[in-house]
Amino acid sequence: MRGFAALADAQPDPVQVFFKQVFWLALAPPVFVFIGSLNFGWRLGAAEPLYLSGKALTLIGIGYFFALLLGLVCTAVLSKWMAATYGARDGLGVHLALVALVAAPLATGSVFHLFPHVFVNLLALIPALLWSLYLLYKGLPIALRIGPERGMLMASALIGCLLVGAVSLLGLTVALWTGGIGPTIGV
Amino acid sequence: MAKEVYHDRVVTALVLCSIVWSVVGMLAGLHVAAELVWPQLDFGREWLSYGRLRTLHTNAVIFGFGVSALMGTAFYSVQRTCHVPLFAPGLAWFCCVGWQLGILAGGLSLLAGWNAGKEYAELEWPFDIAIAVVWVCFAIVFFGTIARRRMPAIYVSNWFYGGLIIVIAMLHIVNSLAVPVTLSKSYSLFAGAQDAIVQWWYGHNAVGFLLTGGFLGMLYYFLPKHADRPIWSYRLSIVAFWAFTYAYIWAGPHHLHYNAIPEWVQSLGMVMSLVLLAPSWATMINGVMTVAGAWEKLKTDPALKFIVLSLAFYGLATFEGPMMSIKSVNVVSHFTDWTIGHVHSGALGWNAMITFGTFYFLVPRLMGAPLHSVRLANIHFWLALAGTMLYVLAMWGAGVSQGLLWLSLDEIGELSFSFKDIMASMAPYYALRLAAGLIFFAGALLLAYNLFMTVKGRRTVAAAPPAAAEA
Repeated sequence: MRGFAALADAQPDPVQVFFKQVFWLALAPPVFVFIGSLNFGWRLGAAEPLYLSGKALTLIGIGYFFALLLGLVCTAVLSKWMAATYGARDGLGVHLALVALVAAPLATGSVFHLFPHVFVNLLALIPALLWSLYLLYKGLPIALRIGPERGMLMASALIGCLLVGAVSLLGLTVALWTGGIGPTIGV
Repeated sequence: MAKEVYHDRVVTALVLCSIVWSVVGMLAGLHVAAELVWPQLDFGREWLSYGRLRTLHTNAVIFGFGVSALMGTAFYSVQRTCHVPLFAPGLAWFCCVGWQLGILAGGLSLLAGWNAGKEYAELEWPFDIAIAVVWVCFAIVFFGTIARRRMPAIYVSNWFYGGLIIVIAMLHIVNSLAVPVTLSKSYSLFAGAQDAIVQWWYGHNAVGFLLTGGFLGMLYYFLPKHADRPIWSYRLSIVAFWAFTYAYIWAGPHHLHYNAIPEWVQSLGMVMSLVLLAPSWATMINGVMTVAGAWEKLKTDPALKFIVLSLAFYGLATFEGPMMSIKSVNVVSHFTDWTIGHVHSGALGWNAMITFGTFYFLVPRLMGAPLHSVRLANIHFWLALAGTMLYVLAMWGAGVSQGLLWLSLDEIGELSFSFKDIMASMAPYYALRLAAGLIFFAGALLLAYNLFMTVKGRRTVAAAPPAAAEA
């Protein structure tokens, strides 16, 4: 919680936070998944792993990177927008830094993408996700200097938005497959 | 003249029955979830087979847990928003007892193998008739109370409950039209593709007007009561009601994408599903903004947390549904466990969560006593959140994997994987889903214990309408 306490007294510059933290958090998972898929193939539970060409993997990796970057920045913008409703601090830098702190366990957990077995990744990312949720609920009121009750409401509103973001990513991925980007599927 | 009081004993009875059905229904769900990991758990007995227990699970949770909760909260709120006691209280008791007996006998008939073969409408024709009779009585009590109201306006929760009663009656009667052959077997009046269209017109609108509209009635009454402040925008709630009612009824064909029904019907179903996002989210925003100003209530009210989170999952489910109705997404997601995950993000995250929150608020007020344990309610909240999240994640992982593997082609255009192998590899996801179900069920048991201890040794307190209280 020290990171959140330090953030409570700081007014970081959004550009600096973006290049020092957010950029790298968004870069790590696509790099891991690129290396993992190239070497081990996607393991979705079937007997044979699914190998894709380097070109397709690069395209997927770039898409993944921008999706994550967009997701992190949008969450910070959303959090800043919600701040007025919940009486929290303004300033995009603070919200961007808050999102980076909360997303850090998930980005760290993405090291399991080096072996892209879907179930293994799911199992590894569940504790990371729970840790991120804990950080969001506990850290948000500290960093934004609001009471824990208001923090709980704001964190829950953000979770709602993040769930929608996660499912949008799934939908978008599937729609891209149908559109011919990614694995060859018979549709 | 005897003092006029609200008829709340029937509300208490319905709430307690709802809790019992939640335990029964979730237990059946857990067993079928375990059977997907260890199929031998049916012990070679037909009544324990997946096909029979799964229908018991859905019927017990939707019609036992869900409808009993809706009936109870409708009876409670319609009296308070109309400032009059229930019209025909004897008929209200008939609804309560008749509904419970119907679900009990219907559940046993499902275990015995009676099945009309229509999803969420599996009960055979004798039960269909009984359901229609009880439902008409429910309508008489509800609309009779509204007709005698002392308040000039009809509050928005009553619009949603009223929509639930009218539309479900229409859907149930039309979809259940059948030719009985014996006491336990009937054949639908509709055939082939028409039967499928009627079935999903019913099926999707049962989700719409019962699991969404009915529970929005609950939200619109109990959220302002919890938060102790009016709805953020009453005008938005009315606009959302009419937009919701207009749009939902068309969305059923999205269950039949790429099937033997006309292409334009599928596209219409998809477009109307996308339109539906607007009224659904209007209600979510209304709820979030209402609760945003009531943060201080969270210090003392454990129930409000459930409602806050139910709004988040309501937002997810009502976004995910329209997205999955898009044909280019549906071609991959259809028939996979992603659909099961979607249903449960709504059923656990929205329906169960808002019902739990409402019960934690309602039961202490009905008994005139504090909740037995606030600590247990707080533990229940985290169990419910963890269980729902795990469930959804497990089914997202399983569903997307299935969608991809089923359709994967090799270099010569043949399917890359066999269906059997893919399904055999799903056991770890199903085990994770079982763990999620156990966590959620543990929370539900805490609620049952907590509320039965709150009720134990007490009687429902007599409350009077304002006009009678002042007289």
